[in-house]
Amino acid sequence: MRRTSQTARLIGAILGLIACATLAAGCSDLGAGGLEGPTQTAEASGGKASGDLAISNWPAYIDKETIPNFEQKTGISVDYTEDVNDNNEFFSKLQPTLAERDSAGRSIFVVTDWMAKKMHDLGYLQNFDKNAIPEVNKNMIPTLQHPSFDPERQFSAPWQAGMTGLVVNTAEAPDVTSINDLFEDPDLAGKVTVLSEMRDSIPLIMKADGIENPEDASEEDWLAAIDKLSGAIESGQIVGITGNSYINDMARGDVVAAIGWSGDAIQLQADNPDIKFVMPDEGCIIWADNMVIPVGAPNPDAAYAWMNYIYDPKNQAPIAAYNNYTTPVTGVKEIFEKSDPALAKSELIFPSEEYQKNCSTQPDPPRLQTANIEKAFEALRTGG
Amino acid sequence: MRAFAQRKGIPYFLLLPGLLWLFVFFVVPMGFMFGISLYEGSLDTTFEFTWNWDNYSDALTNYDTQFFRSFLYAGVATLLCLLLAYPLAYAIAFKAGKYRSVLLFLVVAPFFTTYLIRTYAWQTMLSNDSFVVDTMRSLGLVDTGVLKTPGAVIAGLTYNFLPFMILPIYASLEQIDKRLIEAGRDLYSSSRTAFRKITLPISMPGVIAGTLLTFIPAVGDYVNATFLGGPNQAMIGNVIQSQYLVTKDYPIAAALSFVMMAVIVALVLIYIKFAGSESLMGEERGL
Amino acid sequence: MRWLREKAVLIFACLVVLYMLVPIFVIAVFSFNDPAGRFNFTWQGFTTEHWGNAFGIPELTDALLTSIELAAASTVISTILGTMIAMALVRYEFRGRKATNLLIVIPITSPEVVIGAALLSLFVYAQVATGFVTLLIAHVMFSISFVVIVVRSRLIGFDRRLEEAARDLGADARTTFGTVTLPLIAPGLGAAAFLAFALSLDDFVISNFNSGTTVTFPLYIFGAAQRGIPVEVNVLATMLFLVTLVAMGVTVWQQRKAEKLAAVRPDEDADTGFPAAKEPAATPGSAA
Repeated sequence: MRRTSQTARLIGAILGLIACATLAAGCSDLGAGGLEGPTQTAEASGGKASGDLAISNWPAYIDKETIPNFEQKTGISVDYTEDVNDNNEFFSKLQPTLAERDSAGRSIFVVTDWMAKKMHDLGYLQNFDKNAIPEVNKNMIPTLQHPSFDPERQFSAPWQAGMTGLVVNTAEAPDVTSINDLFEDPDLAGKVTVLSEMRDSIPLIMKADGIENPEDASEEDWLAAIDKLSGAIESGQIVGITGNSYINDMARGDVVAAIGWSGDAIQLQADNPDIKFVMPDEGCIIWADNMVIPVGAPNPDAAYAWMNYIYDPKNQAPIAAYNNYTTPVTGVKEIFEKSDPALAKSELIFPSEEYQKNCSTQPDPPRLQTANIEKAFEALRTGG
Repeated sequence: MRAFAQRKGIPYFLLLPGLLWLFVFFVVPMGFMFGISLYEGSLDTTFEFTWNWDNYSDALTNYDTQFFRSFLYAGVATLLCLLLAYPLAYAIAFKAGKYRSVLLFLVVAPFFTTYLIRTYAWQTMLSNDSFVVDTMRSLGLVDTGVLKTPGAVIAGLTYNFLPFMILPIYASLEQIDKRLIEAGRDLYSSSRTAFRKITLPISMPGVIAGTLLTFIPAVGDYVNATFLGGPNQAMIGNVIQSQYLVTKDYPIAAALSFVMMAVIVALVLIYIKFAGSESLMGEERGL
Repeated sequence: MRWLREKAVLIFACLVVLYMLVPIFVIAVFSFNDPAGRFNFTWQGFTTEHWGNAFGIPELTDALLTSIELAAASTVISTILGTMIAMALVRYEFRGRKATNLLIVIPITSPEVVIGAALLSLFVYAQVATGFVTLLIAHVMFSISFVVIVVRSRLIGFDRRLEEAARDLGADARTTFGTVTLPLIAPGLGAAAFLAFALSLDDFVISNFNSGTTVTFPLYIFGAAQRGIPVEVNVLATMLFLVTLVAMGVTVWQQRKAEKLAAVRPDEDADTGFPAAKEPAATPGSAA
């Protein structure tokens, strides 16, 4: 019958085309992988910085005055985009462009330590021209000057540092002091979330299980912690693995205790004064978000001007006061002692050694098994 | 009535640009996606084309829960949409009188607020401390939260896809010649029987079209699950999105997409056989 | 009792419509809220401050502008391409009609996730960086099918004898098209363009896959939803809603006018001897 043969021909044609496309696809290499060659240095031109500066940063990380003040002082026009919600997501978005040596117009990204390292290893970053950033060199606090992933601070400069611990609605959940409470307290069931930042959530779970230094944890330790988390999700104890959105859930009252970031607790207090950052009994995870200059950055001079501006304690003070994260700049404490003594005493902005005695720096999983571990963790997010 | 003299090439000239666009940006990408589903590897170790059919078996075994969940949620949502939409479409077509346009406006209007904001509004309305949930709790309908449950996700799906069900049903009801219904009423001496034997069968193409236009996008949706559900409500769309945009495991993601497409295409083909693609396109017979 | 049964369907219908409008209402109401912190969940006081400052968040305004530009470009291209296909389908004979129908219908019935993912696969393979251009390509792609369906249904109801009359009066094909056909199908084109614009403006899933670093209005909202959507978003969403409602009203009103023009009036029949034409039924498909 005519109709059947017409349909059959149609289907045959479509299959044929798919076959061709498949073969064509088979000959490509999907353009993945890093860039070859040594890391370039973004040379400062030596003249006055000018023009446009495009920055990608995490949301709610800067106060409202800094950018206008910077623009007024330097004449540089700043295009500030808050599109980093998760290191992996941001990396995924930028990777194809970066592989073409194009930074999508940005001259500065702000990414967490391990992502800075990953980007550097793939050749997507440029080294700093250290002569162009005297303020940074001078004013960086000592504890951040020589991190293991970038000992000479050649390609990263901390924007803010912070702590991952417990963010708790102390009115609804007064007894939460340890990560294990999140797992074991039946009153909290259905109202707990953890972070999708694997290098925050899993090390904390491991610490709560007795592994004091997550840097030394083995693949089994990581996978065991992931398994424990998986059990809690299946049982409904934990109801979310989130990026920034846990803040939304806490403000609405759907979540009463979460693994979260120190500064967020203060920002939530405007909506609910009962929400506090609680240092877990077993300690917190310390990390920093770093300014990096990507390959193909259109205006490194402006980037250096920005970094120098940020590392001047006078300019850093309002930023620190706004977001309540650990400031990487010396001299800010003295400024607060005169202007806002309560802030000068904040353990979140100026954490003492005593406060952080049990804390660990954010670790990377064992290098050879990283892909495996990341895959196991990612499966949790989609309930697999 | 083809009254003009028809110059031979014109239809092809008219068809070419649009069809070419569709071909290059729909059919061909499907082909590439199929090709990619046969790769192996990861972003760090580079991908290789190895006729890796394992991706398909991995996709089916690792994510069978999410597949099943997607079809279940979409199915329930479609059913609910049908139950809500049919009476509404019927009312607009036959009982609205001069308010017909107004009602149609109001039905289509929510469409014009961004999809995300509507779903986000539901997230706010269904949160633990909200007025809605408090009321439900005092009525004893729920005891804990509403969000992050299958019910919330299904409710979101139902809400968001309701217009897709209403409009096709309305379209097919509206064109029924009212005299047929009158005749049926006279014949069967009961409006209910007239409905059953005349109105309902004639409106079936609209019902079928509406069902497909609702069910198919609902299966692949992930926005509702993201806003209203938790990890235990993740649908296959969430997995695909996560694999494509976060993990960047393109081969698995492509395999997942294809498996989902395959099931859906099977459904569409069954429908076409059942009702004919002409009625899907709304072509009149004999024209 | 009988009255209730008769009206039951209508009452039920009104309830459903109300249900559909509830979130819109909530969004609009909360655009007048005055929250202390970042979150707009509880009612904290009435203010019109945000309406006055609707464009005060640069990122948001940029995203909205990007969306509008994208939607405009996508509308123009897809309306032209789709109308051409619709004309070919309705007025001409050609081989491959079934294939064409299939090619038009399948994108509509494919889940957006799959379309978005497939397009991304294409761009990844071709090593094309995603951004505004890839977004435009994607938006045109999924709009074409909708345009075809809407314009098609308009063309089917079109009275060809008007064109014949024009030709009898001596007009050539181009003039006929320009002065008779085009103005009469314009409302249908308008409805199709309107639909394409709305689809593009509202698209999230396909854009999420293919936008790279470009931020459209829905993408901005998705990002902002993580940390608290500013009130200005409610304001803009409500504005968009009102604007489209008005635009829809104008479109339908114009359509009604054109329908009246296109049908031969009954009282003229007595003079010309032409058989009386039926009033073409209002086609709701073209309003959607």
